[in-house]
Amino acid sequence: MSGHQGAKRHYETEVLIIGGGVTGTGIMRDLALRGIHSLLIDRQDLNAGASGGNHGLLHSGGRYVAADAETAAECRAESELLKRLAPECIDPCGGLFVAVEGDDPEFAARFPDHCAVAGIPCEEISPTEARKMEPALSEKVYAAYQVPDATVDPFRLTLQNVNHARRLGFGDFLPHMGVEGFDIEGGELKAARCRDLRSGEEVLISARQIVNAGGAWAMNIARLAGCADVNLIYSKGTLIVSNTRLSQRVVNRLRLPGDGDILVPGGTVSLLGTSSVTIEDPDDARPTIAEVDKILAEGAVMMPPLADTRFIRAFSGVRPLLMASGAAEDGRKASRGFSLITHEDQNLSNFVTIAGGKLTTFRLMAEKTGDLVAQRLGNSAPCATHTVPLPTENAVGWTEPGFAARDWYQRADASDMILCECEMTPQSAVDAIVSDAPGSEHHMSLQAIALRSRVGKGACQGAFCAMRVTSHLYDRGIYDSPEGLELMRDFVTERFKGVRPVLWGRQLPQMELAETLHCGLTGLDLLGAKKPGSGRAS
Amino acid sequence: MMSGQDIDQMEVMNFQKLAHELLPGGASFESCIACGLCASGCPASGFYGMDPRRFIRMAMLGLNEELSRTPWVWTCTQCKRCQYVCPMSIDVSVLVAAARSNWPKAKVPKGIMRSCDAQLRDVSTSAMGVRSEDFVEIVEETAEELRGSDRRFADIKVPVDKKGAEFIINQNSREPAAEPEELAPLWKIFDYVGADWTYASKGWAAENFCMFTGDDELWKQMVKTRVDAINELGCKTWINTECGHSFYTIWKGVERFGLKADFEAGSLVSYYAKWIREGKLPVNSDWNRDNLKFTLQDPCQLVRKSIGDPVADDLRFVARTLVGEDNFIDMQPGGNANYCCGGGGGFLQAGMSEQRRAYGRRKFDQIATTKADYVLTPCHNCHSQMEDLGEFYGGQYRVVHFWTLICLSLGILGPDERKYLGPDLAGIGLET
Amino acid sequence: MKRELRRVETGLAIIGAGLAGFAASIFALRRGLDTAQLGHTGAIAYTTGYFDLLGVMDGRVLDEPWAGLDALREAEPAHPFARLGNDEIREAFEIFTDAISDMGIAYSKPGDHNLSALLPSGVAKPTLSVPATMLPGVEAFRTGAKTLIVDFPGLQGFSATEFKVNFAASWPALSVCRIEFPGFEGQQLYPEVLARSLEAPHGREPLAEKIRAVLDGAEYVGLPAVLGMHAPDEVHADMERRIGARLFEIPTIPPAVPGIRLREMFERELPRRGLVLVPQLKVSRSELGADGAVHHLQGPLEDLEISARATLLATGRFLSGGLYADQAGLRETLLGLPVVQPSGRDNWYRRDYLDPRGHQLNRAGLETDAQFRPLDAAGAPVNPRLFAAGAVLAHQDWVRQRCGAGLAIAAAYGAVKAAAEMLNGSA
Ligand SMILES: Cc1cc2nc3c(=O)[nH]c(=O)nc-3n(C[C@H](O)[C@H](O)[C@H](O)COP(=O)(O)OP(=O)(O)OC[C@H]3O[C@@H](n4cnc5c(N)ncnc54)[C@H](O)[C@@H]3O)c2cc1C
Ligand SMILES: Cc1cc2nc3c(=O)[nH]c(=O)nc-3n(C[C@H](O)[C@H](O)[C@H](O)COP(=O)(O)OP(=O)(O)OC[C@H]3O[C@@H](n4cnc5c(N)ncnc54)[C@H](O)[C@@H]3O)c2cc1C
Ligand code: SF4
Ligand code: SF4
Repeated sequence: MSGHQGAKRHYETEVLIIGGGVTGTGIMRDLALRGIHSLLIDRQDLNAGASGGNHGLLHSGGRYVAADAETAAECRAESELLKRLAPECIDPCGGLFVAVEGDDPEFAARFPDHCAVAGIPCEEISPTEARKMEPALSEKVYAAYQVPDATVDPFRLTLQNVNHARRLGFGDFLPHMGVEGFDIEGGELKAARCRDLRSGEEVLISARQIVNAGGAWAMNIARLAGCADVNLIYSKGTLIVSNTRLSQRVVNRLRLPGDGDILVPGGTVSLLGTSSVTIEDPDDARPTIAEVDKILAEGAVMMPPLADTRFIRAFSGVRPLLMASGAAEDGRKASRGFSLITHEDQNLSNFVTIAGGKLTTFRLMAEKTGDLVAQRLGNSAPCATHTVPLPTENAVGWTEPGFAARDWYQRADASDMILCECEMTPQSAVDAIVSDAPGSEHHMSLQAIALRSRVGKGACQGAFCAMRVTSHLYDRGIYDSPEGLELMRDFVTERFKGVRPVLWGRQLPQMELAETLHCGLTGLDLLGAKKPGSGRAS
Repeated sequence: MMSGQDIDQMEVMNFQKLAHELLPGGASFESCIACGLCASGCPASGFYGMDPRRFIRMAMLGLNEELSRTPWVWTCTQCKRCQYVCPMSIDVSVLVAAARSNWPKAKVPKGIMRSCDAQLRDVSTSAMGVRSEDFVEIVEETAEELRGSDRRFADIKVPVDKKGAEFIINQNSREPAAEPEELAPLWKIFDYVGADWTYASKGWAAENFCMFTGDDELWKQMVKTRVDAINELGCKTWINTECGHSFYTIWKGVERFGLKADFEAGSLVSYYAKWIREGKLPVNSDWNRDNLKFTLQDPCQLVRKSIGDPVADDLRFVARTLVGEDNFIDMQPGGNANYCCGGGGGFLQAGMSEQRRAYGRRKFDQIATTKADYVLTPCHNCHSQMEDLGEFYGGQYRVVHFWTLICLSLGILGPDERKYLGPDLAGIGLET
Repeated sequence: MKRELRRVETGLAIIGAGLAGFAASIFALRRGLDTAQLGHTGAIAYTTGYFDLLGVMDGRVLDEPWAGLDALREAEPAHPFARLGNDEIREAFEIFTDAISDMGIAYSKPGDHNLSALLPSGVAKPTLSVPATMLPGVEAFRTGAKTLIVDFPGLQGFSATEFKVNFAASWPALSVCRIEFPGFEGQQLYPEVLARSLEAPHGREPLAEKIRAVLDGAEYVGLPAVLGMHAPDEVHADMERRIGARLFEIPTIPPAVPGIRLREMFERELPRRGLVLVPQLKVSRSELGADGAVHHLQGPLEDLEISARATLLATGRFLSGGLYADQAGLRETLLGLPVVQPSGRDNWYRRDYLDPRGHQLNRAGLETDAQFRPLDAAGAPVNPRLFAAGAVLAHQDWVRQRCGAGLAIAAAYGAVKAAAEMLNGSA
């Protein structure tokens, strides 16, 4: 399927999928199970968009029962399926909805009925019981309900999607490949004009069908194909990550969705969020200090210990909201449903955009997209993702928080040196990722390894592990030029974006040490700077 | 008691929660910056894949099952060196003690449990099973022998339960149980300085293996028996003998369990130093004709964990005076920064000799670097461990008590009180 | 049983056990001051062992630090360096490196030019003075000598290959070799442990033998910094003799040897030179009065009360606990002194981590006058007997300017001088 044509790199595939988030990778797997080959590209890497910047809540649907019964029911059905079919990605921890003094009692009182309508099991418990289950809950909680919320590891989910497609022999993934335009001819997209964003090289990808799973960038991508029928507004959501896990269950505030009202365990940490701010440009999604303070203040009403918790980073994701559905200004009130846009009224027969939706409903979104693409290709195989379990293997298991630590502790093989002490990720994990994980066909960087593991995600946020992993990659010959240090610089620069808004208290000393290490001991701030006099670089 | 229960069925402790409860806010696990100084400086690093940083990280990651069950907690000697080198002053040993307390008694290393059980059996609190009345008898017999064998001590008094004595002293069980002749040097010193002192018949034993089980109740019981006995005799000052953890166990126990103690606590070493400075113990190094070299082991329990620099200074002052300025070679690092020998925390009794010796290798290297012929230490655990290390790694040194050298220098060391001296010193002072 | 209370009276109390605190003790003892130093461990444990004076200005690497200082005084008149002349700073630096050499870790004499010292990543850093155990590395790099870099499996974050690959363009005569550290095969290695094992005479030959076997004509051999802890020069010389090549150390990532080495040396040697040192504890509370200050510390068994006629604060920044940040702002932790700081958290850090201008937060700290006396909000000295030195001072960015040790030493010199003048004047 690949080859060179003239100066340009050229690929041919049945289906080109643009966007390596959970939706795009879900489609890749869906198609592979139908025997359809696809090539997945992302201008960055897997989970570079909302799929890597979300709350990780596998919604029972409870969150949406009041405003959007349809989405609620979808969430219920899909979450039940995923718990069965992708158990490695899911922590079925359960969830609580709690109302705190000052929250509308009527809203709280109607909650069980709403749940009943959407078919979501919901059990009222006393505030005392709730506090026994979650000691960090405020004394001011006056109503509490238990629902089957769960959490999902979106990184593992995408990695397993891609890996399954790869192993079936019907899918390839190209990272750092951005779409810049399309060759359109006779109502068809003949090829996508892409660029390898690391080498700068132009690449042409011909496909019979092209799927736009560009998330918040879907509108931009559709426009490249001349389609004006994808209209998005962008809602930025920000979350903060604590150093430790603060609750056993998902804790939701029982009120109309607002800032800082869900605390979701993420294995060994907790994520508090979100905020919702409309932004102009989906690429402009840094978490801000004002957002962090607001989320934290709200969260502490529900769980007072949050006020003196150590937070290790903040991050933001962008929710693409479909204008067509008449979204209101507040992004959170808009529909969480998804749309499959066939572009047939734009006189294109082989292009489809899938937009909106949720992490929880990604499989359903992939199924609908797969159905359309298969039908267009004349493939009659039915969707299989609702019956075939999502397989896992060693190289894709390292994103699970706590997994590496448990695994290493059990083996206690001192010669398998630990590279990331915070998360206890050993060199064997890095080696497995470099040789086997999706994307390993291409040159792996520290950043790519971090995405596929817990490296850089612990308390030190890359202060130490960046240096240790880099050394290891030099030792393994994965790095063989000074570019390795540039990649380290890029990695720590990227990590910093998320650390900056939570720099106070006990995270600040950690940052101070990181900066002295990265500058004083590694010279990353001076890479490339010339030393006067002597010819040697410093 | 949970005896018989399997480790797999042990209750799982929540270490994050414990860290919040047991450690001060600024020094809780939450402050850890993962720098690894603690692990780098901990001789127990590496056993069972653990080290202090990993203990903290695993607690923060919620690996409670693993931490509840790791046998590593029996290899950490609770020496608190990790806290000493940590910029955030994080103390891992407190959580190690908590983890130990959770182990079913049947699974606690047998040596520790047996010793503690023995201590609980009699008011003597002796880990070697020396009962109260036996102790009184052994003391009396040994004193009698001494009076008979050495004219200089024909009238020596060895009081037991003397109410209102100025000093009350405890006694490690090893001497009455195994080498009663080693009791005498200390008596001679007391006699020499004219101290008004006594033993207690109850709770006289120094060692406290119950503390090492991690079970606070047992620790408390030990301390209470002893403190009550001292209170009862109305002595002004309790002097802790040449034993490390016995000092820590009492003062820390009194503080931790809010016990009433009507006396002051002092270390024997500090009194040696005081008496030397006051001229009451006119020791010098004249006996060291061959300029034998001596080094010193600071017991963690006495120095880093208790008195700190003042006692480290006293130790050196006494040692230098005894062996001669030029014959004293300090171990590096020493004082507060010293390494645990690996005999502490019950390690010596825990039966894990492979790990214990690996732990002690650093101590062995330290000693070897000084090229000393003798190591002085006021601690029975350090003493035994360093002897064992020397044997195991092929060291050329011997380990001695201070009381031996003091009596040697004063010319009052009896011929059968020289068990720990080598041939180079065995004859000194006996010629006349 | 009650807690003991130990009272100590002293002329100058130095709070902080970093480079600034130890340098201050050296200067104070030299001036014959009755001195006590109180301080817990902190950032010193992480240093490379290099003593920087001024290595970078405005993102440019400096070859001539002294000229750089002149320029700095012009460009940044509030910088602590601007309080002192080059002659004073030079004197301070020389006294300090001489004192350390005398105490057991030989350092190169501070010269007129910066040295290009080696970092484990395979880049050089501008610095003024380096330990004798690292100096041959500076030479080897300068001359491009045939050099073998050795690393050990199990030692995190040190890769001879990384070193070589990154230096390759400017130093082609590098070769690498990985050998198991004898006696520690298959284990995770800590430089500290290796250093202590080489301190013992029986630890050296097995390593030397392995290195000899792979020397292959190399003139120099570079190792991660593990050549002994309390007698590095002796270990270094002995290993050179055994290996038969010039030998040098390369700093490693924490937990590393050079900082621990310095700390242990100061703690061992300074008390022998008359310092009252309380190395394990933090001052929990201080009261400032007209005649001096009283500092309170709590040991495991005793309380300590240090009365001092003058006090020098060298408590460092966030890592060492001298400054603390909460969501609302920065504060000085011991005395609640005013902290010069950017307005609002959004101005603490720039958006780009490695922005060559550095972060504004790094320039926050204590405002002082020409006598290194911390100033109150109105710009007057908080107390005529209170001085400050080191990283806790405002208007400097030692990380980016590569002036950590220089700042600590120079400010300690200035502050001790001012304190001595005050004490002698008032005595
Ligand atoms: C703050 C926040 C919290 C959320 N929390 C939850 C939750 O708790 N539970 C839940 O179920 N859902 C949640 N969601 C929703 C969920 O994250 C998204 O629905 C889901 O991740 C969308 O995945 P996607 O693959 O469609 O888009 P994305 O993950 O955004 O993927 C789009 C990809 O396209 C790539 N791309 C863009 N332009 C180009 C181009 N020109 N060429 C090539 N590639 C390109 C991007 O790099 C990106 O990787 C949350 C969303 C946000 C923003
Ligand atoms: C990773 C790293 C690498 C470095 N590399 C270099 C280098 O290559 N070259 C160079 O020149 N410099 C280097 N440095 C800098 C140098 O070591 C010093 O950190 C710096 O010069 C500041 O010194 P200081 O004494 O002012 O502060 P610190 O070293 O921070 O010392 C402050 C001290 O005060 C103590 N303290 C705080 N509060 C109290 C209290 N209440 N009571 C008692 N004590 C207290 C702390 O415990 C600490 O010991 C490096 C630093 C780091 C962290
Ligand atoms: S020394 Fe302290 S801060 Fe460093 S890793 Fe150990 S506990 Fe954490
Ligand atoms: S107390 Fe001692 S043995 Fe235990 S972890 Fe700390 S340094 Fe290691």
